[in-house]
Amino acid sequence: MIIELGHYALVLALATAVIQAALPILGARLNDRGLMELASSAAVACFLLVAFAFAVLTFAYVTSDFSVRNVWENSHSLKPMIYKISGVWGNHEGSMLLWLLILTFFSALVASFGRNLPETLKANVLAVQAWIAVAFALFILLTSNPFARLVPAPGEGKDLNPILQDVGLAIHPPLLYLGYVGFSVCFSFAIASLIEGRIDAAWARWVRPWTLAAWTFLTAGISMGSYWAYYELGWGGWWFWDPVENASFMPWLAGTALLHSALVMEKREALKIWTVLLAIMTFSLSLLGTFLVRSGVLTSVHAFATDPTRGIFILAILVFFIGGAFTLFALRVSYLKAGGIFAPISREGALVFNNLILTTATATVLTGTLYPLVLEALTGDKISVGPPFFNMTFGLLMLPLLFAVPFGPLLAWKRGDLAGVSQRLFASVAIGLVFGVAYYYFMNGGPVLALFGIALGVYLIAGSLTDLALRSGLGKVAGNVAWRRFSGLPRSAFGTALAHIGLGITLIGIVAVTAFETETVVEMKPGMTVEAGGYTLRFDGMRNGSGPNYSEESGHFTISRGGVALTEVWSSKRLYQARRMPTTEAGIRTFGLSQLYVSLGDQISEGGIVVRIWWKPMILCIWGGTLFMMAGGFVSLSDRRLRVGAPAKAKRPKTVPVGAAE
Amino acid sequence: MLFWILVATLTAAVAAVLILPLLRAGEAPSSPHSHDIEVYRDQLEELKRDQDSGLIGGDDAELARAEVARRLLAAGESDGEAATSAAPRRGAGRLAQAFVLLCLPAVGLCLYLLTGSPGLPAQPLAARLADPNGDINILIAKAENHLAVNPNDGAGWDLLAPIYMRNGRVEDAVDAYDRAIRLLGPTPARLGGYAEALVVQSGGLVTSKAQDALKQALSLDPNDPRSEFYLALGLKQEGKKEEALTAFNRLVATSPADAPWLPLVRQHVAELAGPGAASAAAPGNPSADDVVAAQSMTAGDRQEMIRGMVDSLESRLKENPDNLEGWARLIRSHVVLDQRDKALAALREGLKTFPADGDGGKQLLALARELGIATDGATQ
Repeated sequence: MIIELGHYALVLALATAVIQAALPILGARLNDRGLMELASSAAVACFLLVAFAFAVLTFAYVTSDFSVRNVWENSHSLKPMIYKISGVWGNHEGSMLLWLLILTFFSALVASFGRNLPETLKANVLAVQAWIAVAFALFILLTSNPFARLVPAPGEGKDLNPILQDVGLAIHPPLLYLGYVGFSVCFSFAIASLIEGRIDAAWARWVRPWTLAAWTFLTAGISMGSYWAYYELGWGGWWFWDPVENASFMPWLAGTALLHSALVMEKREALKIWTVLLAIMTFSLSLLGTFLVRSGVLTSVHAFATDPTRGIFILAILVFFIGGAFTLFALRVSYLKAGGIFAPISREGALVFNNLILTTATATVLTGTLYPLVLEALTGDKISVGPPFFNMTFGLLMLPLLFAVPFGPLLAWKRGDLAGVSQRLFASVAIGLVFGVAYYYFMNGGPVLALFGIALGVYLIAGSLTDLALRSGLGKVAGNVAWRRFSGLPRSAFGTALAHIGLGITLIGIVAVTAFETETVVEMKPGMTVEAGGYTLRFDGMRNGSGPNYSEESGHFTISRGGVALTEVWSSKRLYQARRMPTTEAGIRTFGLSQLYVSLGDQISEGGIVVRIWWKPMILCIWGGTLFMMAGGFVSLSDRRLRVGAPAKAKRPKTVPVGAAE
Repeated sequence: MLFWILVATLTAAVAAVLILPLLRAGEAPSSPHSHDIEVYRDQLEELKRDQDSGLIGGDDAELARAEVARRLLAAGESDGEAATSAAPRRGAGRLAQAFVLLCLPAVGLCLYLLTGSPGLPAQPLAARLADPNGDINILIAKAENHLAVNPNDGAGWDLLAPIYMRNGRVEDAVDAYDRAIRLLGPTPARLGGYAEALVVQSGGLVTSKAQDALKQALSLDPNDPRSEFYLALGLKQEGKKEEALTAFNRLVATSPADAPWLPLVRQHVAELAGPGAASAAAPGNPSADDVVAAQSMTAGDRQEMIRGMVDSLESRLKENPDNLEGWARLIRSHVVLDQRDKALAALREGLKTFPADGDGGKQLLALARELGIATDGATQ
């Protein structure tokens, strides 16, 4: 009964969303407070209903209720509990329910924490959110119902794809969806303001916390996904320019552009039209990503099931929302007045430069991702656009942007002094070059480009610190005054610096791994040794073992340096019984920021096995940098200015937006 | 009943939550621009801070201040306009309430009745394991759990194998029979079941592996009708009509007069004896075991399905003949469909890509020989 109740709750959530989609917009038209306030109640009710449905599905997974088709298809009674729970979204139906859950969660957040919003804007935003919720709830109920039942119930489930049986699945999709779907709020804000025909600097400030939150979660989701692919797939790579990865990377690029253009709009009321367009584009790219991943157009570990009706349904959603949004935009764009003017060399100019490059980069990735698909659809030719294309185009595009990053925060609004800023950044450039040369020297050669890459990364970090130092007047005023000024800086300044430092750290990691990683593929017999990254690995032999729902063969390696045994590492190959599917469990040991990565291949002769060993210098910087970016996002979110906008008479106890830590 | 009460309660609760704000319908909202004004005021303060920390020059700060002030004034003005316009209308709230009360149960119940299974209880595995109560799937699962721990329990595999077969889990049935034979030794029943599972697995074709098992079964019990039947069927598939007819006739002679498999056997006899007599013998009521085999031998739609697959396979191979496995499958399928000339043609085509003296060609020829196709003419 509980299962059916969960199913009914989902249907009722759809009905609530229909009401939320229709009445508040009417209320905003008629200037009727009751109808507008309905939006908030409906948003919260809708979220609670979906949350209940989600909890019921989780319950079905936890209790291995195989009378639910979805559970039977993706679970197994012997699976460890954590994978039973994460398995809820490790499949098409469940992941779409998670999508809906997060969508309604954001609506509920806007409803609860959006007290600083004008009532009409809030009502319209929540109504647009509800349109999206209606579309996806219908999609779930009609084409991918997670509550479909099986009579009679099978005795055992078919188990989850073994690659997904990992803690990564517990973390990566929820974070990624928080990012993907978080941009729906920006989209709804853009559409709502277009409906009202009113858009101004205050709008940008209201949108900013949502953009920041979505961006931060998306950063975390992508980074987590990259690390997961790195250690689980056993290929030793951390980014493959795979269409599915691109699908999440494009909203990130567009979202980063949005974050920056919204700044200009907020401060100077310039770039209004552009910012609205970016908000629409970012969520459109999220939808496109959902379509690419869920329709079965692409084959990958993410395409759980390929069912043409689902693809067509999502395509219809895509066309309706993107097409509708751009039509509305075209109709209303003439109403929007252009805002403030600024000189090319100014903070605004720098941000425009940022936007130009980021959108071009997005377009490049989009082309590289879609071109093979379109070509295949038209001519049937299969081509693959691989890393060389992306590394050339995307990499080259990013270079000038990365160099310009520290300039942005240092330039003044309206009219900046490029020469002055260059002078102030001179020290950072010098530090960067010194580090680059030093690294080059210690790594005993390597490509010259790596020198510049490392230098650029260090320059990014030093440049961001320069900004903070200059603002607090370090060196010009007394120490305690500088400290007081430093601690008095707005949080967003720290957020900016942290995010830019993170970018530098990630860059260093990417350059170091690309230029200096070593890969050894050898057939090893017990007792043999291999050198990698200054360490010696001795293969000690294989051992058979078994887990709850798999059997495995593990190879044991002893790692030593200069003859002294330091540590050991196990690398294994597993065979999952229910699906008879093999996976590799790479053995990874961390030394400082670098890692030794051991992956087992095929057994060739008696006792001999192919082993791939990578030495990955400074690879942890890649994900460490994203941690800094996320920290930057959260620090910016906690900036008090983001909560301003509630008229004094309506002031209630201070509320804190998503994820804010104060 | 309890379920419907809960459904009604849930619906009513949501309706109440949605109606509550509507009771305030008609009230005009607070001024829409007061929020903007607050933001602009804050921006002015921020400007002052920026100026103090030297982020913006004195002149530019003045200009920026004027800019924000203009926005502040504009917001204030339109606020005044808004206050005088748009007096909210009554009646909208009533309609909205009606909409809410109608929409929730209408959309909710319609969609739920369309997609849901009301009355179907939750079935957590633990509860089912504790009280199987004739739940065959649970009994299977229990046996499987037992065998996962004690894989050498031959009796368990022996028991499970026919159950797998009846539940359509052919792969598992083959495996279970195989283990039972290895652990407990061969009996006609086990060998026959094993062969039958192999036949179903290979889409109705009595493979040489199945034939070996059948012959072994007959050596243990020369009068095992099932083994006799499948062996005869194998002969028929190989095109050895005379021998097949003899074998089927012997089966008819040795079977009791009321044996349930007789009608099926007679049908085969009729087909082999002459094409005209085929329709005369209507299939009777074969036993449960025969049903499984008969499905793969006579059901029209199954044949149709195989034919479709064969056609697509054929066209794919025409485009890309470099597919040894594909050719092998095509030849095998033609034999199942009793199209021996086509099987021979496919063999010839395949040998064009994989010459007879190469590894691939040898494999194809060996396969053809095993299936009873005359390979003499194929190599030319």
